[in-house]
Amino acid sequence: MQQGVGTIQRALRAVGGHGGWLAGLLLIAGWLALPSIGLAAEGATTGPTEYRDIPYIGSRNLIWIVAQLHLLLAGFVLGVPIFAWLCEVVAWRGGEKRYDKLAKEFTKLLTSAYSTTALFGGILLFLLVAFYPKLMNYLTDIFFPSFLLYCLLFLLETATLYLYWYGWDTMQEGRKKTLHIFLGFLLNFFALFIMIVPNAWATFQSSPVVISDGTAIERAWAATWNPTWWPINIHRLIANVVLGGYICGAYAGIRYLSSRNTEEREHYDWMGYVGNFIGVFGLLALPFAGYWLMREIYQYNQQMGITLMGGFLSWLFIIQAMLIGVLFLGSNYYFWLGITYRIPGSESKYRKPMLWMLVSLLLCLAVWMTPHSLVASIEEAQKMGGAHHPLLGVLGVMSAKMTVSNLMILITFMSFVMYWRAGKQDTAGWATFGKAVMGSVLVLASIAVIVLGVWGYFVPAIVRINYFSTSQVLIVIFVILTITPLTALLLKSAKTTTEMVWGSMPPRAGYALVLNAVMVILLMTLMGYARSSSRVHWHVYGVMRDSSPYAYSPALGSASLIMAFCTFSFCMIVAFIFWVATMGDKAKGGHGAAKGELPHGIPAMAGGSPDERR
Amino acid sequence: MSEVAQLQLIALSIVGFGILILLFIKSTFVRVIGFVAIVLGLFSLMSLAVPQLASLPPAEEKVDIASIKTPTDIAAIGQTVFFSKGQCALCHSIGPSESARCPDLKGIGAKLSKDFLYESLTDPQAFVYQDFRHGGVPKEYPATMPAINKDPIGLSKNEILAVIAFLQQMSGEPISVSTSELEIPGKGPSAPVKAAESAAVAVAQAH
Repeated sequence: MQQGVGTIQRALRAVGGHGGWLAGLLLIAGWLALPSIGLAAEGATTGPTEYRDIPYIGSRNLIWIVAQLHLLLAGFVLGVPIFAWLCEVVAWRGGEKRYDKLAKEFTKLLTSAYSTTALFGGILLFLLVAFYPKLMNYLTDIFFPSFLLYCLLFLLETATLYLYWYGWDTMQEGRKKTLHIFLGFLLNFFALFIMIVPNAWATFQSSPVVISDGTAIERAWAATWNPTWWPINIHRLIANVVLGGYICGAYAGIRYLSSRNTEEREHYDWMGYVGNFIGVFGLLALPFAGYWLMREIYQYNQQMGITLMGGFLSWLFIIQAMLIGVLFLGSNYYFWLGITYRIPGSESKYRKPMLWMLVSLLLCLAVWMTPHSLVASIEEAQKMGGAHHPLLGVLGVMSAKMTVSNLMILITFMSFVMYWRAGKQDTAGWATFGKAVMGSVLVLASIAVIVLGVWGYFVPAIVRINYFSTSQVLIVIFVILTITPLTALLLKSAKTTTEMVWGSMPPRAGYALVLNAVMVILLMTLMGYARSSSRVHWHVYGVMRDSSPYAYSPALGSASLIMAFCTFSFCMIVAFIFWVATMGDKAKGGHGAAKGELPHGIPAMAGGSPDERR
Repeated sequence: MSEVAQLQLIALSIVGFGILILLFIKSTFVRVIGFVAIVLGLFSLMSLAVPQLASLPPAEEKVDIASIKTPTDIAAIGQTVFFSKGQCALCHSIGPSESARCPDLKGIGAKLSKDFLYESLTDPQAFVYQDFRHGGVPKEYPATMPAINKDPIGLSKNEILAVIAFLQQMSGEPISVSTSELEIPGKGPSAPVKAAESAAVAVAQAH
């Protein structure tokens, strides 16, 4: 068996270099092989095989690792085109060529990253068919039409990617550029569907719906439109943008640390800024999508919600809080470093607000990480009068956690606004009034979020979930939607007092970018474990029971080592992809940025104008 | 050495490996690997520091017919099922509760007959009353009360009867479930509960 898997893997690796077309054919071949399960079962005398296993590592662990790596790579492959396309559009509309160069630099990664992702998808498919034939037979029976659609989308995506990448240089001017932008849009459009089709298979396992009789398409559609499908789609879409942004940041961070001249330092410092900005941009919206998903899970099946938030997975959310907290801290820290080192003279002006923000973030993180029930000895529990600490127990509930997560989003947003405003002097006549309005909006919103959080303790859970938590989210969105245009308007006429100095960040800024990327990847692996474990001993929740020896969910500690392994492996794969993709550049010498195109001035994504470039 | 201790040792080794790299290696890329190793090792140590709870598949709870002598014995089993495998207490309260999502079951055994209770548990959509105000917007998905003789809960007929006996006992009513109604494993079904076999009589307006 192992030999067979090894042969398949070797064969897959051999074809991997030829790109997505071969990988697409591989998927089709895998799909065509599915009926063989049924044929094999018919010939068997002891009934169809339900499970197969491999020694030492175990079938479940192998599937776990391969599926996680495939998912992370898929997130990367779907996130990078969004990132690249956004950069290309910024360059197209704003006229800043450096964004176009950045977009091209990342699109270059796509061909190798895309085939690697498909490769892992193919391996995963073969392993699933081999290890879980009964489950795969069941899912094939339901989703057969969407398998075909998936293959078609795969072919369309591959063709579009080839056109987008190989046509980059020839489609730079006039209407051709517009066509290229449209191709980028199309690439992301197909990528979106490539993501949401398999999401239906996975979410159906967690939240199956009643499949009535009907045609194959009707059955597949009914199963696809399950309660957690769209929440997962939106959550993953945003998360992919975040992943793409932070990986760009990490890459820039590493290149910044190893850069040997000023030119490279400036270029990768700027690239790190853009990556972090896009990562934070998505990160601010991610908790809202996560909240919606969790709400839908509760709505669909309260028992599953309780398993996640109050059952054996409840401690997982403390670890999740820690990771998100570090991510918020890392992102803010990078902004603060930017204010301090890129905009000379701003440090003294913003030192106090930064300190206050740091203290507030740490306090919020402490509340978010407070468990509802404490780990206590019998004596300690007796002294406390139960597992709930008389003081800390109050902070361990959802009302407090929702409040601090919203406050952390507000603080991070304000860090960005602070960075945006640093080194500028307002000249608009309404500047004082505008700043007063923004300050009032921020203060009132913060008070409202806290008041709703405290009030949430005194109302039934259903009222808190349906009205209070939703209002908190809406208030934060309102703040972002109010202050962003006002600041942009204010800065339009502002005078630049200090030019942005790129390439002056200390080495710890590079490590902060790497840390942020690792946190995002770890979060994705952690929540993958959570989603899978929330099904407990079911392949398809409440419908198909897992009767294999692996019908249990491992404890968080042992699972964390597999998550760490997946994270490390993914980082190494991505590093390899970057290395392979930039090999040609090194041979040509340098990253290709001409001196005249160096990234000086105010970043357009932070509202700066290209006219302000040095 | 316990399994957790072994895993902690592995995680500590990963952190140590990362620290050694940062101390002695100058190559930037390798140093970044060392940094990532430290972060991942600390993550594992943190995850190993919290209570280690695994989720095991539930053991099949069997009603030991031989041990049941009186209806009170049936109710005692029903109480266990109510708070464990049946998962009834997950949504229902016994007595008024502001946070209850589903009807309060206090006194339900006095209000409803055994047959009606059986039907409500196995075919919850047969009658949907409007007299329970859950205080929020109506749920989008209609399966507010699952058929508990089906997956994922999947109570056996004996277990359902035991729960009914418990509900009756809790309401101060005489237990109308008799030991003769219980199915003995390996034998054919005993006297059927009427409502369980009859089709839904009528469907009241949902929500």
